[in-house]
Amino acid sequence: MLLSDAMEDEEKWLAEGIAGIQHNAFYMHRALDANNLREALKYSAQLLSELRTSRLSPHKYYELYMRAFDELRKLEMFFKEEERHGCSVMDLYELVQHAGNILPRLYLLCTVGSVYIKSKEAPAKDVLKDLVEMCRAVQHPIRGLFLRSYLAQISRDKLPDIGSDYEGDGDTVMDAVEFVLQNFSEMNKLWVRMELQCLYYIHFGDPELRPSFGLSGLQGPARVRDKMEKERNELRDLVGKNLHVLSQIEGIDLDLYKETVLPRVLEQVVNCKDELAQYYLMDCLIQVFPDEYHLQTLETLLGACPQLQPTVDIKTVLSQLMERLSSYAASSPEVLPEFLQVEAFAKLSNAIGKVIETQGDMPIVGSITLYVSLLTFTLRVHPDRLDYVDQVLGLCVKKLANKPKLEDSRATKQVVALLSAPLEKYSDIVTSLTLSNYPRVMDHLDNGTNKIMAMVIIQSIMMNHAYVSSADKVEVLFELIKGLIKDLEGDSDDEFDEEDFNEEQNSVSRVIHVLYNDDPEEMLKIICTVRKHIMAGGPRRLPFTIPPLVFSALKLIRRLQNQDGDAAGEDNPATPRKIFQLLNQMIKCSSLGLEGWAETIEALSYVPSPELALRLYLQCAEAANDCDLEPVAYEFFTQAFVLYEEEIADSKAQVTAIHLIIGTLQRTNVFGVENRDTLTHKATGYSAKLLKKPDQCRAVYACSHLFWVDDQDGIKDGERVLLCLKRALRIANAAQQMASVARGSSGPVTLFVEILNKYLYYFEKGNPQITSAAIQGLIELIKTEMQSDTVTPDQTSDAFFACTLRYIQFQKQKGGAMGEKFDTIKV
Amino acid sequence: MASRRRMLLKVIILGDSGVGKTSLMNQYVNRKFSNQYKATIGADFLTKEVQFEDRLFTLQIWDTAGQERFQSLGVAFYRGADCCVLVHDVNVMKSFDSLNNWREEFLIQASPADPENFPFVVLGNKVDVDGGNSRVVSEKKAKAWCASKGNIPYFETSAKEGLNVEAAFECIARNALKNEPEEEIYLPDTIDVANARQQKSSGCEC
Repeated sequence: MLLSDAMEDEEKWLAEGIAGIQHNAFYMHRALDANNLREALKYSAQLLSELRTSRLSPHKYYELYMRAFDELRKLEMFFKEEERHGCSVMDLYELVQHAGNILPRLYLLCTVGSVYIKSKEAPAKDVLKDLVEMCRAVQHPIRGLFLRSYLAQISRDKLPDIGSDYEGDGDTVMDAVEFVLQNFSEMNKLWVRMELQCLYYIHFGDPELRPSFGLSGLQGPARVRDKMEKERNELRDLVGKNLHVLSQIEGIDLDLYKETVLPRVLEQVVNCKDELAQYYLMDCLIQVFPDEYHLQTLETLLGACPQLQPTVDIKTVLSQLMERLSSYAASSPEVLPEFLQVEAFAKLSNAIGKVIETQGDMPIVGSITLYVSLLTFTLRVHPDRLDYVDQVLGLCVKKLANKPKLEDSRATKQVVALLSAPLEKYSDIVTSLTLSNYPRVMDHLDNGTNKIMAMVIIQSIMMNHAYVSSADKVEVLFELIKGLIKDLEGDSDDEFDEEDFNEEQNSVSRVIHVLYNDDPEEMLKIICTVRKHIMAGGPRRLPFTIPPLVFSALKLIRRLQNQDGDAAGEDNPATPRKIFQLLNQMIKCSSLGLEGWAETIEALSYVPSPELALRLYLQCAEAANDCDLEPVAYEFFTQAFVLYEEEIADSKAQVTAIHLIIGTLQRTNVFGVENRDTLTHKATGYSAKLLKKPDQCRAVYACSHLFWVDDQDGIKDGERVLLCLKRALRIANAAQQMASVARGSSGPVTLFVEILNKYLYYFEKGNPQITSAAIQGLIELIKTEMQSDTVTPDQTSDAFFACTLRYIQFQKQKGGAMGEKFDTIKV
Repeated sequence: MASRRRMLLKVIILGDSGVGKTSLMNQYVNRKFSNQYKATIGADFLTKEVQFEDRLFTLQIWDTAGQERFQSLGVAFYRGADCCVLVHDVNVMKSFDSLNNWREEFLIQASPADPENFPFVVLGNKVDVDGGNSRVVSEKKAKAWCASKGNIPYFETSAKEGLNVEAAFECIARNALKNEPEEEIYLPDTIDVANARQQKSSGCEC
């Protein structure tokens, strides 16, 4: 039989059942209207007979049940009236027992029972006890469960609860509890028995034990079992509803819960030894009773967990419990003492340990999920107890110990969650850094995840604008993010992704900027610690990591420079001189990518960045200059020149480099004559040796500034300025000749105009070597050049020249000393 | 015959987990309130007698599980409802956003004959919390939604303080009463079918 056919049949049976109910209800209504009790009872019993079907699945049966349920409400109202009309409810209670079939009889009995209790003609507890006992007569699981849930519903507002109408006369809340507990136990037994019945059906084929319809005898046992499980699962709320009713009983205070309710419910849960029931009922128990009860009975509740079947998903149960408790803790600060008083953390931690121990084959992801829940719990409930957090991490380390790196991606995800939780909680990253087990957990991650986690840590630091302010903490931090700092064992080059790599390294550079302490000595320690770590990063990482560290060190130097310099004495390790020594070594590394691991590096792709190193040297030289450390500054310049000579080969890079050198050197005033001469000589020398003539020309005239520093004590060597400019002119001439051979280049005129501007600058600044005659000559030269046929007209240089002339004109008209000076120049 | 049917008014309370459905019902029926959160399992109802225009009615108020996992048997009990109460927590936006789903789900499952005019009432509960400071669903917003769904009556309630609970349920009851019941008119084709329908169940006589 096909499944769809089976479903169609089920619809048909449901429709028949509904028709049966409607038919009998019609006559029942007529009887009710006619005040005919006997007829009413007859038709209501026939109506209820429809519930005797074994053909419907729980869902469909529920639909049928609801129809009957609604009809019974009308009957109930009639009974109430009947009572008023004279027939005593006691008589009614007897009368309905004449119904032929047991199921209709019991439904009717329950209905009358409800009226009976309401009439208060008999003690509620006696009626309830009678009903709950009588219901034993129905042992078919689905029918029995629905019948008992009917009993639970109609008795719901008639329990001898404290403060209810039915309290007193010897009826106590205990009677209410007993009644519900008994009904609960019976229902749970019926529910669990379905499982056994299913097995019987499979093995002996007894049609009366057939789970429900929608199945034919032709379906295989596995199929039958699956369907059975599904149907059992659908019925779960009928059983769980009893716990809801219990939780709504007003009189159940903590003591009663602790002494009676909880132990009895747990006894039922543990003893039924049924996986589905145990999981579901534990969940219910946790959800329906209030948090303070759980807190005060944690030991009992948790004690039941290891006694459950090993296949029960306890981790979800416990997670939900902890989730609830932490929300409770968050609800009000007043409840926190309760948590401390009952040592909630220790108890939970213990219970989790036991569960993991008992459920030996729980996959690793299960254990870690439990730890994540425990961690979330402690972070929310005891944010001040870092030792708890560390304990949880420690438990996790223990669980992961002796295991190879995690390969289960779900487990990895959980570990990441575990590690991320403290970061999210404590905006001050430093807090997490004090957790000794943190790095040990990280060690269990595979390299890829380790890097992801390291990025999470860095992002957390950046997001919180937190400073890491001691060398010790920096040490821990770099240990945590080591996956980004150096190649890890097992890192393979095949998976190298440049974009990811660059992003990671940029993050590392960013984090270096937030390592900071006001105390220079500690700051130096921090710098040394970082240096130690990043030096292991290999040539691919150094270009990213060295610059921020150099700047961090330079910042420190600037800070010291504003203090008393070396006044602190030789004992003080944080002197600019010492820091410079460090810097020197560091930059050497970034330029050469060596020092210490030259051998290992050759195997890797070799990424030197001499241009970067040169810039850093110049930065350092400038800082040394500001600190008045001549030899140090000289050393840095020397390094820069060495790099220039040996490593910078590209002509464009050379042009940039030489201009950087000239610029820096120009601003440097620390040098004595001899050192200065050496350096300026070298700079001019290299300028004149650049590959292209225009580049040579420009570098050389830029060099003129090395001899004329426009401040009070600055060097003013007019003669050498002139020498530079003349040399630049010669080069411009040569360039022009070369161009006219090659034709079409308009460059040289621009060069002449640029030189003219330099002349004007020095002329204005009062360099005696620059005369108006020389300027006059240069102007004539440019004019002649421009008129010559060999030069292709060029708008830019024409405009430039015109502007220059206009400037001269302007100066002339300005009058005063400057006007007089310019007066001699004829335009 | 219809009069007996009209004495019972069936009301269903729907809404997300934790919005206070059980508390509202308990406050209205028993005048009791507990701050403790207790989940509801399955469907549960309480009844209350109300009097209108000299007639006595029984209000059957169905409280439901907000958590889906505690609604394993489905919602067959929606059938025959006379009014549906949609509850949200004014301090939780998500619970307000869910109202639409609850409403649509109800209309699909209960399939009333005239879904356009089926009576709903919306309650914005927990207005007492934190003196109203943690409130995120404004009265205006709630009312706008109610207006867009065919002028659903709206009440701001506090089950804890009993604020507006009585008024809200009175409105609920009146609207339930206005709802025209769908009598499934049943006419028996033959007179003696009743006896013919006996031998359906197999097996024993229980």
